[in-house]
Amino acid sequence: MRSTRSAVRCASSRGDWINSGNGPAFQPIDIGHPDYMGVLEADTAFWSLVRKENLPELFTGGSLAREYAGRAELFAEEMQALRFGLKPSAVYFNCTERCNLNCSYCYIPEKMRRYGRHMEAARLLDALEILGNHFRQTIEDRKPQIIFHGAEPLMNREAMFAGIRAYRDVFRFGIQTNAVLLDRETVGFLKEHEVSIGISIDGPDMQVSDRTRVNWNAEGVFDKLKSVLDELRDQSNLSVICTVTSQNMRDLTRLVEFYHQAGVEVCMLNPVRCTLEGARQIKPPDEELAHHYLAALDRTYQLYQETGRKLIVANFANIILSIVAPSARRLMCDISPCGAGRCFFALAPNGDVFPCSEFIGLPAFTGGNLFESDLNQILESEPFGLVKGRRVEDIIPCRSCAIRHFCGSPCPAEAFEMGGTMQCPGAFCGLYEQQVRYALRLLADQKSDAYLWDGWDHETENVFQYEQI
Amino acid sequence: MQTKNQKKVIAYRKRCHAKGTGLSHYILLDKKVK
Repeated sequence: MRSTRSAVRCASSRGDWINSGNGPAFQPIDIGHPDYMGVLEADTAFWSLVRKENLPELFTGGSLAREYAGRAELFAEEMQALRFGLKPSAVYFNCTERCNLNCSYCYIPEKMRRYGRHMEAARLLDALEILGNHFRQTIEDRKPQIIFHGAEPLMNREAMFAGIRAYRDVFRFGIQTNAVLLDRETVGFLKEHEVSIGISIDGPDMQVSDRTRVNWNAEGVFDKLKSVLDELRDQSNLSVICTVTSQNMRDLTRLVEFYHQAGVEVCMLNPVRCTLEGARQIKPPDEELAHHYLAALDRTYQLYQETGRKLIVANFANIILSIVAPSARRLMCDISPCGAGRCFFALAPNGDVFPCSEFIGLPAFTGGNLFESDLNQILESEPFGLVKGRRVEDIIPCRSCAIRHFCGSPCPAEAFEMGGTMQCPGAFCGLYEQQVRYALRLLADQKSDAYLWDGWDHETENVFQYEQI
Repeated sequence: MQTKNQKKVIAYRKRCHAKGTGLSHYILLDKKVK
């Protein structure tokens, strides 16, 4: 069994001193704040902020170390459960290989998107039956999630709708779509069946959006996306995703203004996954990206101050949660091992099962076929084991990085394709450094709640509270 | 108006029943923001 900490304390050290023997391994980091330094214990994802003039006191017998020591095992157990104890409860269901767009960064091979096949309705219903039977054995406290995903799921609309109609009592459904085929009838059906909708918009205007999101005739689709966004203005359970590349990073501040004006409540600003070559060609440099990224986060704060209405950047909110409440995080990319194969998995239109959608273009990572093999065996297959076994402790420089459990060094598909091994860091190490420091600055300035959805902590309990005035 | 933080040390942690299931290609929402 893997552990975040050594299970057996064989050293004779009493743990009296920080950073030696069995004492806590506290790493001070500069967070770019005028008054505070971060002091982190990486293995247990423990964080604290210490005024700079009080750092010597902390490292020479201050009470924080004693308080921490009293909770360290609890924190370690929490991280162990979060990292190795969860079961899959979501499926990214690709009901077609085809897409009506040809975005330059897509992780699904072009041939598949252009000429691929649909999953037939009867087959889709069979798949949902198998998945429903599986989850009945493994999940007791909630409905599992099915997210119809791309390629473009609305290319196979009728089969997907048949599945939603038949299994709405078994699953919570969602759809991630490029929105081009989201007509009024489709939106009506999704609303009626309480299907969450995620749409993709990469720019605040045609000029930016159409650089990467185009159809097979190289024509942009921004006008259509804009009209859909207007149509969905009052839609609850709507989120918008932007894939951030070198083509739109300079426009992120205008983009969050555009989202906010359109009434969007939750978005994600996702750095492009560099799994395939097309994406790598528009990978933004970390430092420049971080500059624009943090400026956009600043702007969401200003918009909240100006209007009283939040625009949550969910993937950044998730980083704040990874610091203050690790088990409350929603997204499981920024954790090691990531959620691929252990919290969710992906189903391809031919029934092949992959740890995550990101692997769908990489046949070596098929764990088996849903219609031919037992799903439990698929989830324990060698390709799944390879992905689930990717740990920051085995990666340089992550193994000595203070923020390794706030970042997770995603993503395995990207790392494997870029570096040829799972033991490579993710593509945006520098961006994560900046995001975590930004999050710690927010905590120092008591601003973090402005970046989180209201009520985020309703189901949480306090397990540590330390303040020294 | 933001008040300047004067505390020497700040540290807290919350915990809940872990439900993390999402990947960054999509987030299923069940919480409203204001």
